[in-house]
Amino acid sequence: MKIVKKGNEIAANLYSDEKLRRSLIGLRYRLLGAEIDKGILFKLFVYIILINVAFIYMKPILYMVTTMVKDARNILDPTVIWVPRSIFLGHLQQASEMLNYTKSFLISVSLASSVAVLQVFSCAIAGYAFARLEFPFKKVWGALLLFTFIMPPQITILPSIMLFKEFGWLNTFLPMVVPALFGHGLKGAMFVIIYRSFYSTLPKELDEAARMDGAGPFRLFFRVMFPLSRSATVVVVLFSFVWNWNDFYFPSLFMFTAENVPLSITLARMAGEMKLAEGAGEITVYAEAIKMAASFLIIMPLLVVYLFAQRWFIEGVERTGLVE
Amino acid sequence: MRWSRKLENTTVRKLEGSLFIAPWVFGFLVFVAFPLGYSLYMSFHQVKITVSSVNYTFIGLSHYREILIANGSLLYEELFPFLRESAMMIPIILVFSLFVAILLNLRFPGRTLFRVIFFLPVIFSSGQIVQEFIAQGEGSLSIMETLRIDYYLREYVPGSWAAPIQKVMSSFVLVLWYSGVQILIFLAGRQTLPASVYEASRIDGSGPWNTFWKITLPGLVPYIFLNLMYTVVDLFTFPSNPIVSRVNTSNYGSSSALAWIYFLIILTFVLLTLLLYSRVDKSLSGKR
Repeated sequence: MKIVKKGNEIAANLYSDEKLRRSLIGLRYRLLGAEIDKGILFKLFVYIILINVAFIYMKPILYMVTTMVKDARNILDPTVIWVPRSIFLGHLQQASEMLNYTKSFLISVSLASSVAVLQVFSCAIAGYAFARLEFPFKKVWGALLLFTFIMPPQITILPSIMLFKEFGWLNTFLPMVVPALFGHGLKGAMFVIIYRSFYSTLPKELDEAARMDGAGPFRLFFRVMFPLSRSATVVVVLFSFVWNWNDFYFPSLFMFTAENVPLSITLARMAGEMKLAEGAGEITVYAEAIKMAASFLIIMPLLVVYLFAQRWFIEGVERTGLVE
Repeated sequence: MRWSRKLENTTVRKLEGSLFIAPWVFGFLVFVAFPLGYSLYMSFHQVKITVSSVNYTFIGLSHYREILIANGSLLYEELFPFLRESAMMIPIILVFSLFVAILLNLRFPGRTLFRVIFFLPVIFSSGQIVQEFIAQGEGSLSIMETLRIDYYLREYVPGSWAAPIQKVMSSFVLVLWYSGVQILIFLAGRQTLPASVYEASRIDGSGPWNTFWKITLPGLVPYIFLNLMYTVVDLFTFPSNPIVSRVNTSNYGSSSALAWIYFLIILTFVLLTLLLYSRVDKSLSGKR
């Protein structure tokens, strides 16, 4: 009898242990989640991290926007840090005058977009050839492509200047545009690599089917392959446009005495002028606000482009196999 | 008959391929190979530019000797602190971007908004604007000052490392800003890992922690190396980088030699990365 009773007790204890264990596991599951993205605790953690980092990324932009609309009273008022009491657009106007905005803007747009368009075509063709076509010394050229990717542009900059001087291209856009026509230019090697990895993911049967239907190589590329690579193209267009828009290095060396210069150069020239003014003792409380206004004017077009393109861009990044 | 036709076929294919690659090859020869060879040539010469012509006097390796041995200040004063800085920045960038990419890959409300924000650095970090922000002091974290990190650094870390650590700390935000493309690469890489593997591991009862170490991380190894390479190349070729800014037009010969030395250093780094990668890849595939 006694033994049975004890046995029952043990069983009951075991049962309650089991119950406790289960409810603990249940709690753990609710907090941590069966999958990494399901638990409450984890979600909280994710949001805290993401919001913090997002703030780090947003802060300079917020600072830029709020600083540029402050007038003298707001700048001198120590209680105003983030939100100005009134909005003043005079700095924007002055900055746009100093940047010679309309003209430089048009120059920047035409330069960056022409390079981007050329790079898309030429790099797609080169990437396609590297991924799917046969040609002599393919491995050697592939190695040279990688070499071009890791080579700092500074190593060729002096001879390039001399070369372009020989051609009479200095102070024009040609040093930026013509290399792009041949699949080079700013980070051209990287775009070729992006296209190469995209085209090498497509099934082999695709070209065979098209060839059976009697498509020649050019038709095959322009009618089938290039339209298929829309996601890669979005990524390359955006990267190319943005990087060329922002690039200061090449224009500063190839167009240093030119009159018609893109925004990145006018910004640098403006910063130089302001430093000179400061050195001469003309320190104004507006300097900061004007600089921020100028920065805003330069970034704004990119922001607009990005706002429109971001959906395709993110999709493109996910689908390209951007890398491989 | 059939054989010759097949031969003809491959020749035609090769011709087509050559036609497609020809523009790139032409561009490579004119805009990369020629300037490259020319800069190598100049690095062995004393270059004098006169109004009408450019004069070259062969001086052999003396530019290299000057930079590497005789007058170390040109290279070493900038190079070593920069290498120490990169040695810290690269792991921070890699870990941070991997972390962010994995978080962004999760499904949660507001994901799109966060992605839009997190890709902003791709737009800004390449431009003059970032320099402007650093000048404003946006690059530092105020927490570093409140915790008096500087003080502890000076106290406990040997001098040659304290300054670079301090610099990285003070531009910590900047390091995060340089992670834009790396986040993209990791995110794209993460998309290539098949969902079925994750499902299987969940059914087998492994938790998120295990799943990360056993599936996500090994699966991302190629992308980690790609990012490592990209980061190395990006950091080392950034125009505001201290050594690159020494490559100027005042003394062509010596500048070319400096650029070449610098390039060889980068190349060594990249080759080491590749070597490491092939080792890791081999050992991983051996395990599989």
